[in-house]
Amino acid sequence: MLDKNDLINFEEEIKKIYESGKIKAPIHLSGNNEEQLIKIFKKIKTNDWVFSTWRNHYHALLKGIPKEWLKKEIIAGRSMGINNIKHKFYSSAIVGGILPIALGTAQAIKLKKQKSMVWVFIGDMTFETGTFHECYKFSKNFKLPIKFVIEDNNMSTNSPTSKVWKKKSEAPKDVLKYSYKRKYPHHGTGGWVLF
Amino acid sequence: MGVVLMKYKNELIKSMSFLGRKKDTVFIGQSVSYSGNAIYNTLAEVPLSKKIEMPVFEDVQMGISIGMALNGFVVISCFPRFDFLICAMNQLVNHLDKIRQMSRGEMKPKVLIRTSIGSKAPLDGGPQHTQNYTNEMKKILNEVKVVFLDKPKMIFPAFKKAYEDKDSYSYLFVEHGDFYN
Repeated sequence: MLDKNDLINFEEEIKKIYESGKIKAPIHLSGNNEEQLIKIFKKIKTNDWVFSTWRNHYHALLKGIPKEWLKKEIIAGRSMGINNIKHKFYSSAIVGGILPIALGTAQAIKLKKQKSMVWVFIGDMTFETGTFHECYKFSKNFKLPIKFVIEDNNMSTNSPTSKVWKKKSEAPKDVLKYSYKRKYPHHGTGGWVLF
Repeated sequence: MGVVLMKYKNELIKSMSFLGRKKDTVFIGQSVSYSGNAIYNTLAEVPLSKKIEMPVFEDVQMGISIGMALNGFVVISCFPRFDFLICAMNQLVNHLDKIRQMSRGEMKPKVLIRTSIGSKAPLDGGPQHTQNYTNEMKKILNEVKVVFLDKPKMIFPAFKKAYEDKDSYSYLFVEHGDFYN
């Protein structure tokens, strides 16, 4: 498994490539959550499915997607939707979009009696949506093999979740949640780039 | 006209029966296991074990269809009226219709969506239960094939072709309540 420095170095390399103007599409860099993710991914097996968001580089690397393959995809402009069937990895750039799909994959695992499970990584704003409420309730009632992980940076693009909802909801006990402060802006690197 | 109506419904029953005999199919939606709409009656010969009754959460249902199909099922996802399918547009347009493009053709979930235009006679369902968005769907969707089933003879070949489609495209089948009530 990759360590903390491997993850940080990967994003810093992507940052440099982006700032050189070679990536003609938005990027959403990860940072400051390496330790939390490494701990979670120790529980995720090769055969498990991982569903991620537009900020997916760390998830993809920790799921076992090769660095060079991922870098190529990012340079090709597909950072927001890294998808790889071999590694059972799906990500979407629509808020909450992965939740129902993850639910269906978990339902299929149960019906087929497969020995794997689904992990879904969502932000704190997605956690507040009705879609999460529906999907969590359905998965719990039908005992589906799915684990929800909330990555709480209190930001939905550039809006603070706690302000726009007035307050944040409590996560259920069987949902994993960790908090961190975003290292990079919502998208880009924070610097001016000439394309 | 009565014979044509009967034939339309019978062709749907025959098609669903064909799909119901396949090992990898599953039928999901509202009123697939419990009577209450016209689509239910067309699933009469599909084993109960292949049906999953869904809550009313159309967008989640469409996402569940995609997720199940990603894991090997051919999902027949039933939306009793076109008006209700509109509630599933996020998963239909942003996900099912884009997933090939987003995965460089690696991910090809096969979802066969069934919906029906609500009939206006003998009861008129009004503006929220009788709309036909077939042309709009054809314009919006790029990867999902849209098929309007207006003739009995086209029904079985259309479903068979969709199931056997080697390129594993998803399909939206539009039926009309007037034809099988």
